Amino acid sequence: MTRPWTQWVLLAVALAMAAVYLFPLYWMYVTSLKTNSEIFANPPSFWPADPQFAIYPGVWARRSMSTFLWNSTIIAAGVTAVTVILGTGCAYVLARYRNAWVDVGLFCILMLQVLPASVMITPLFVGFNQVGLLGSPRLAVILASAAKAMPFFVVLVRATFMSVPRELEEAALVDGNSRVGAFFTIVLPLARNGILVCAILTFMSAFGEYIYSKSIIQDPRFQPASVGLSGFLGPNSSDWNAIMAYSAIYVTPILAVFVLLQRRIVSGLTSGALK
Amino acid sequence: MDISEAPAVNSRRRGNPVSRILSSIRDGNGFDILLVAAPLVFLVLLAGLPLIYNVLMSFQQVDMFTLGAWIRPFAGFDNYISVISQPEFPLVVRNTIIFVVGSMAGQFVLGFALALFFAQNFPGAATIRGLFLVSWVMPGLVVGAIWSWILAGDFGVLNAILRSLGLIEAAIFWKSDPNFSIWAVTIANIWLGLAFNMLLLSVGLAAIPKELYEAAALDGANAWKRFLTITLPMMRPTIGAVLSLGLIGTLQQFDLFPAITEGGPANSSTVAQYWAWQMSFTLYDFARGATISVMMFVLVLFASILYVRSTRSEVRG
Amino acid sequence: MSNVQIELTGVDKHYGQFHALKDINLSIEKGTFVALVGPSGCGKSTLLRSLAGLETITGGTMKIAGEVMNDVPPRKRDVAMVFQSYALYPHMRVAENLTYSLRLKGTPKEQALAAAEEVARTTGLSHLLGRFPRELSGGQRQRVAMGRAIIRHPKAFLFDEPLSNLDAALRVHMRKEIRALHDRLGATSVYVTHDQVEAMTMADRVVVMRDGVIEQEGAPLELYDKPASRFVAGFIGSPAMNFVPAMISEDGQAVLLDLPDAPRLPIGRALEPGRRVSAGLRPEHLTVTNAETAALRLPVGVVESTGSMTYISSGTDPEITVVIHGRSPLSAGEVMGLTIAPENVHLFDVESERVI
Repeated sequence: MTRPWTQWVLLAVALAMAAVYLFPLYWMYVTSLKTNSEIFANPPSFWPADPQFAIYPGVWARRSMSTFLWNSTIIAAGVTAVTVILGTGCAYVLARYRNAWVDVGLFCILMLQVLPASVMITPLFVGFNQVGLLGSPRLAVILASAAKAMPFFVVLVRATFMSVPRELEEAALVDGNSRVGAFFTIVLPLARNGILVCAILTFMSAFGEYIYSKSIIQDPRFQPASVGLSGFLGPNSSDWNAIMAYSAIYVTPILAVFVLLQRRIVSGLTSGALK
Repeated sequence: MDISEAPAVNSRRRGNPVSRILSSIRDGNGFDILLVAAPLVFLVLLAGLPLIYNVLMSFQQVDMFTLGAWIRPFAGFDNYISVISQPEFPLVVRNTIIFVVGSMAGQFVLGFALALFFAQNFPGAATIRGLFLVSWVMPGLVVGAIWSWILAGDFGVLNAILRSLGLIEAAIFWKSDPNFSIWAVTIANIWLGLAFNMLLLSVGLAAIPKELYEAAALDGANAWKRFLTITLPMMRPTIGAVLSLGLIGTLQQFDLFPAITEGGPANSSTVAQYWAWQMSFTLYDFARGATISVMMFVLVLFASILYVRSTRSEVRG
Repeated sequence: MSNVQIELTGVDKHYGQFHALKDINLSIEKGTFVALVGPSGCGKSTLLRSLAGLETITGGTMKIAGEVMNDVPPRKRDVAMVFQSYALYPHMRVAENLTYSLRLKGTPKEQALAAAEEVARTTGLSHLLGRFPRELSGGQRQRVAMGRAIIRHPKAFLFDEPLSNLDAALRVHMRKEIRALHDRLGATSVYVTHDQVEAMTMADRVVVMRDGVIEQEGAPLELYDKPASRFVAGFIGSPAMNFVPAMISEDGQAVLLDLPDAPRLPIGRALEPGRRVSAGLRPEHLTVTNAETAALRLPVGVVESTGSMTYISSGTDPEITVVIHGRSPLSAGEVMGLTIAPENVHLFDVESERVI
């Protein structure tokens, strides 16, 4: 029985907290537009006096961002494709059956989900070196990242499949369809939205992937944007407006997609994350 | 069903092996096996084998000369002894503990507080809560870059704000002061993981039936008592899952280190996962990198057992 | 040429350790409506799903229209199934739901659509063909599920508790409609339900199952009049039969109930004197008479009246329930006298629970 005015107070507090929480993002955009002297002003200004929009095309060209972002896109697309193609079927089977084997499979997948990339990179690097995969470094990163992304994808998509009643598939079988046909015409269309959201999440996290790319891809022509950013970032960086402009160009597409699909992403995550 | 007893009948009914497999894929379990086998092979090749290989390497001599060799000299526990006797080993252990405990505590306490706040009924609650999750979808390196700038010593905005609030006298050199460098990364990591913790805790809160609170209120429990006697006990599985996921996530966090401190100054912010990577990829000492990774893995294994135990009911349910 | 449409011989089904169906033998003639009834977990749904091919049986043979179906996938069995949840494809309109099986068979589009319109007419769905399942009421969804089965002219209809999601009034109505449809199509139907009233009113033959075993199979009234076991006797009929521990009298001509004063009920035949039995008395077979002269005199516990019927429960242990038409002048604390015809006293063995 909350009275209306308390609701508005709560809303105001919520907005204030969101503003504080999202301040780093705001600061990224503001800094990117400041002049060099304004960046090092003390006290700092919270609104650029003379917005330098020219920094964006400048950083884009100077840091060869088109190459970096193109590589990020290729890697993220590859990771998403491998993950969706292999992970969807796995999630479906794990959702459809309940027995000891499925429990073992789920346990293994949970175990894989928790392996830190920093643990995996050393053996992967040495192994890739031995089988000659380092010669096509982007493919190597795609394979390594897909193995990292798949467990999470499987856990989330499994929750989606579990929400598709099994009776629908059985009805399709009795109606004269094969297992394959029922999967593609009944189960997949009904799970499509959940799979799509999880695919987008996979894409977004692969788009920002760093450690595998940094370790495996030596040639700047094949490096993604994260490695490109690390090239001029460190404890002693000072080129802050360029760094922030680079960051802004890098994350704005991700943020846009997130804001557009926020509701779906949140509901997709909450349905699967704790199951 | 014994083939040797009635070969003619069986071959007529079941057809040749190829068509039998095809029909099993169309109508039987072959379809499920096919769907599971492909990802299974993939994961074994790219996660299972490397894991075993990692353990193997931790007992071998691996350097630039033997990197490409399939057979390498056996080293026994030399790598483990050498890792533990490194001068920076105690410092790395200390940093890892600070980073893990600090991040988990910060993410959990703030996340729980926010989850409780957003569980109140007011317009836009779900949407605003969802906005917090942007931190989770951003590339870790970008988050690191932004925080590196916010935490900068001379011109960082955090120092300016703290000074104007009168909380500090002189600027704190977050990134270059060995007393603060690990905290700089921890603060960034709290920001990064806070939203996800809040989301999971919100789900747990939403699952508590409202009638329980109403019944407790009728029984005369005030808000604090209701929190202690209903919210906390009902949230126990969720809290267990969130804490163990927090531990796992913190041990996975890597990107913030190269972006903010690069482990420095003088290893004062190096944690195990960053140390392992440095061993392999800046010192090219793959054996010791693998050794630290194995130690990390044991820690993660422990965390995931906690996680599985706390979510077992949901996994089975 | 036999007229048997479905024939099960020695059918077994194991789920790991669990023995779900034990040596099921059943033959169903063409055109009959068979109800499988029993408590939950008795195996009736497993049996139905095995007929559909959704479960594979682990032993025995299963024939549909003379062909062995043990290893035949569902799509080649030519049976139609109506699910408890209706299982309508949520992403397809009603017309698409109805024609799904025809399209799979490769029926030309116009022909399939004509068939859908025909089926929609007979089930009263004509104005709903363009809707999605989520836009339909429970009863309408039920009809679509029926229509989807009818359109195929299958060898058998399988129903898995299709009415349990409907409200009571609609359920009674649909009961008649399904039966009428069955008669019009001359179909062979197997109908699973846990509601014995549904089984009794709809079916030609009722199969009572318990723990994976067929307890009794027969025409509805046969089951009511001559239950083969204590379980069937208790399951069929509402309110349920009263069971009283008892002993055969010394002359073997009557039964002495384990109630105060050991009332004596004649059984109209001779049995071994002194044998322990369980006596079954249907509430509707007991009649209230003069309390002074009746053989069975019981204190009245609770009197419940629905207007047309009155339910009187005795204040004894075990409790005896009596149903009478109209109203009763009795009230709690009084003594009622009861009589029952000898042929309505059912006796069951204490050990095997089979009828004596």
